Amino acid sequence: MTVSVLLFIILAIGATGYALGVRRARAAAGGDTRKLHSLTGYHGQSVLLFSAVPALVLLGLWLVLQPLYLDHRAGAMIAVADIPEGGSLDLVLADVRRVAEGLDLLVASGGMTEDDLAATGAADSDLKARLGGVGVALAGEVGEGVFEAARDYRHATHGLSLAMAAATIAAALAGLVFALRRIGTDYRARNVSEGFVLLLFIASSLVAVLTTVGIVASLLIESIHFFRLYPARDFLFSLTWNPQFRGGSDLGIWPLLWGTLYVSFVALLFAVPVGLLSAIYLSEYASRRLRALAKPAIEVLAGIPTIVYGLFALVTVGPFLRDWFAQPLGLGSGSSSVMTAGLVMGIMLIPFVSSLSDDIINAVPQSLRDGSYGLGATQSETVRQVILPAALPGIVGAVLLAASRAIGETMIVVMGAGAAAKLDLNPFEAMTTITVKIVSQLTGDTEFASPETLVAFALGMALFVFTLGLNIVALYVVRKYREQYE
Amino acid sequence: MDDMRLTERALDAGTTKIMARGVQVFYGDTHALRDVDVDILDRTVTAFIGPSGCGKSTFLRCLNRMNDTIPVCRVEGTITLDGEDIYDRRVDPVQLRAKVGMVFQKPNPFPKSIYDNVAYGPRIHGLTRNKAELDGVVEQSLRRAALWNEVKDRLHAPGTGLSGGQQQRLCIARAIATSPEVLLMDEPCSALDPIATAQVEELIDELRANFSVVIVTHSMQQAARVSQRTAFFHLGNLVEYGETGQIFTTPRDPRTESYISGRIG
Repeated sequence: MTVSVLLFIILAIGATGYALGVRRARAAAGGDTRKLHSLTGYHGQSVLLFSAVPALVLLGLWLVLQPLYLDHRAGAMIAVADIPEGGSLDLVLADVRRVAEGLDLLVASGGMTEDDLAATGAADSDLKARLGGVGVALAGEVGEGVFEAARDYRHATHGLSLAMAAATIAAALAGLVFALRRIGTDYRARNVSEGFVLLLFIASSLVAVLTTVGIVASLLIESIHFFRLYPARDFLFSLTWNPQFRGGSDLGIWPLLWGTLYVSFVALLFAVPVGLLSAIYLSEYASRRLRALAKPAIEVLAGIPTIVYGLFALVTVGPFLRDWFAQPLGLGSGSSSVMTAGLVMGIMLIPFVSSLSDDIINAVPQSLRDGSYGLGATQSETVRQVILPAALPGIVGAVLLAASRAIGETMIVVMGAGAAAKLDLNPFEAMTTITVKIVSQLTGDTEFASPETLVAFALGMALFVFTLGLNIVALYVVRKYREQYE
Repeated sequence: MDDMRLTERALDAGTTKIMARGVQVFYGDTHALRDVDVDILDRTVTAFIGPSGCGKSTFLRCLNRMNDTIPVCRVEGTITLDGEDIYDRRVDPVQLRAKVGMVFQKPNPFPKSIYDNVAYGPRIHGLTRNKAELDGVVEQSLRRAALWNEVKDRLHAPGTGLSGGQQQRLCIARAIATSPEVLLMDEPCSALDPIATAQVEELIDELRANFSVVIVTHSMQQAARVSQRTAFFHLGNLVEYGETGQIFTTPRDPRTESYISGRIG
C-alpha cells in the first residue's frame, strides 16, 4: 500500500470522525445544541484531530525510521569481504537497495515469480542482464552477500510497509473511537481542540527551529572535519587564499572576507541613500497617483533574477566603469571590479531599502507631522527631525536586511567582480567573496574529503556567524530605539 | 464658575487680532463652512462650540493654514492677522505658523527628549543665540505650561514616556516656546482626565495675559469657564458670536439656545 493511499485513508477516517463527532454531540444533547458546552463543530474538530494527527505523526516517524532500520539490518548481513577495495559500506548498501528495487520491478513485470526469486542465487548468470532489462543498471557483478541482503531487504520492506499501514490505520481508528466516546453534553470540546491546535502551532514553529539547528549542525560537523585536516589558525589568520588541488594550499579567509565586506559596503553605499531618499520622496512629497505608479516600478527591480543583474554588470556596467573611470584614472584595466559588482548589487538592493522604508515612513502617525507643521517647520525639517527619528528602527531593519542580502549574493559577484581572491583597497580591482568561493570549491571534479573542498563548509560557517552577528546587532538597535519611541 | 457672574466678567477692550470675512471652505465638492465672519480679539480666550462636524475645527485650521496640508481642501474669503491677509501669495505659511501656534486634540510629542521637544520650535526658527538662552526658553516654557516641577530632573528622558496630561502640557509648552501671538487649541482636553483638564484650563487662563487663545471644545462648561468670547457653529454656519456670558445666558438665536440647553447636538 503506497503512502499516498495511506494518507488518503487517514484523512478519510478523520473526515468521517468529524461527521460522526458532530452527529454524536447533537444526539447527546437530544437535538438541542444549546445544552452542549461547546459548539458541535468543536466536537467534530476534536474527533478529527484525535484520529488524524496521531496517525499522521506515526506515519511520519515510521517513514523516517524504516530506512534506518533496514540499512542497519542489511549492513549486518554484509560481510567485510563483500566490500570491494576502496569502497565503503554506504556504497554497498546503495547497491543492495538498487538490487532490491530491481527485484521488485522484475516480480512486478512478471519476469520472475516469488518462487523463482526464492530459488535463484547471485550465481545466476543472467541476473545482471535481467535487472538491466527493467532499468536497473549495475556497475559490477552482484555478489552473493549483496544478493542475499537485497532479497532480505525486499522481504523486510514488504513486511514493514504492511505493518506501517496496519499500525497507522489502527492508530487513526483508535483515536476516532477514543474521541467519540468522550463526547457528551459536559465535554469541553472547545478547550480540548484549542489546546490541540496550540500544540500544532508549537510543533510547526519547532520545525523551523529544528531545521535551523540541523543546518548549523551539518555545517559544524563538516567544518570540524575541515579543521582536523587544516589548522584553524591558518584559516583564520592567513592573508592568502591559494587552493591547490594537489595539496599544500593556503586557505586564509581574509581575502574573501575583505572582498565580501568591500563589495557589500559599496552596494550599501549606493543603495541606502538612493533607496531612503526615494522612499522619503514617495511617502512625503509624491502625489498619490505618482506614488501608485512609481512604487511598483521600483519594486520591479526586486523581481529581476540576479543572473540578469550579473549580465548587466558584465556587459554594460563593467566596460563602462573601465573605459570612463578606471583607465582614465589609471586605476586598472579590467572590467571586473569591486565597483562593478557593488554598483549593480546596489541597484538590486534599492527596492529592499526603498519599499520597506516607504511603508515604515507611512506608518509614522499623521499627528506628528501636524505637530511639526503647526510649529512652523518646513516639510524637509519635519522629515529630518521628526519623521526619520520616529521611523529609524524600521529603517535600520530595512538596511540590515539589505546588508544580509548583499553579503549572501553570489551571481552578481561572479559576473561583476571576478573570482580572484585579493586583499586590495583599489575599488577597480577584481576581487571575490565568500559565497563565490564556496561555489567554486564545491563544484568540479574533486575529492570530497580534501581540505580544499571541506573549506567550503568552514566558509559557510563563517558567513553564518557573520550574518547572525549582524542580525543580533539589528535586533539590539531596533529594540533600543523602539523603547524610546513608543 | 458661577453662571450668574458670567455677565459681570471683566473684559479687556482688546484690539482685533484676527479678522475673518466671508470664509468658505470646501473639501472637494463638500461645502464644509459657509460665510464665516469673526473678529478674534487680542489677549482674549475665544471658544468655538458646536456639535461634531459643524466646521469649528476646520475654521480653526484655516487660521494657521494647516488646511494647506490637505490636498482637496480649498479656502475662500479673507482672513487677516494684524491687518495682513494670511492667504496672500506673499505670505509664507511656515512663518505664519510660527506666529499662530497650535495644540492638537491628541497629545503628539515628538519621539525626542522632553528638552528637544520644547526646543524644537526655537531651533528651527533660530530664536536663540546660544545654548544658555535656549535652556532659558525651555525652562520658561515648561514653567508656564505648569510642567517644569514634574520634569526638571529628567529633561532628557523621552517625551513619549510622560502621562497623557503631562504630554498635553508638553505640547502646550512646545507651542508657546516659539512665542506665538495666537495659540490655537483643538479640543486640547478631550484626551485628559478631570485633574489634567483643570490644570490645562488654568494654564489657558494664564496664557491670556500674553497671547490670544482660540479653543475648540465640546464641553460647554469648559467654554464657559475659560473663555471671554464664544462662537457657536452649526452645520457649517457660524450661528452666533459674542461675549461668553451673553451667549450662555441670553442667546439671540434659537439654535444656540437649543444647543446650550442640550436639545440639539
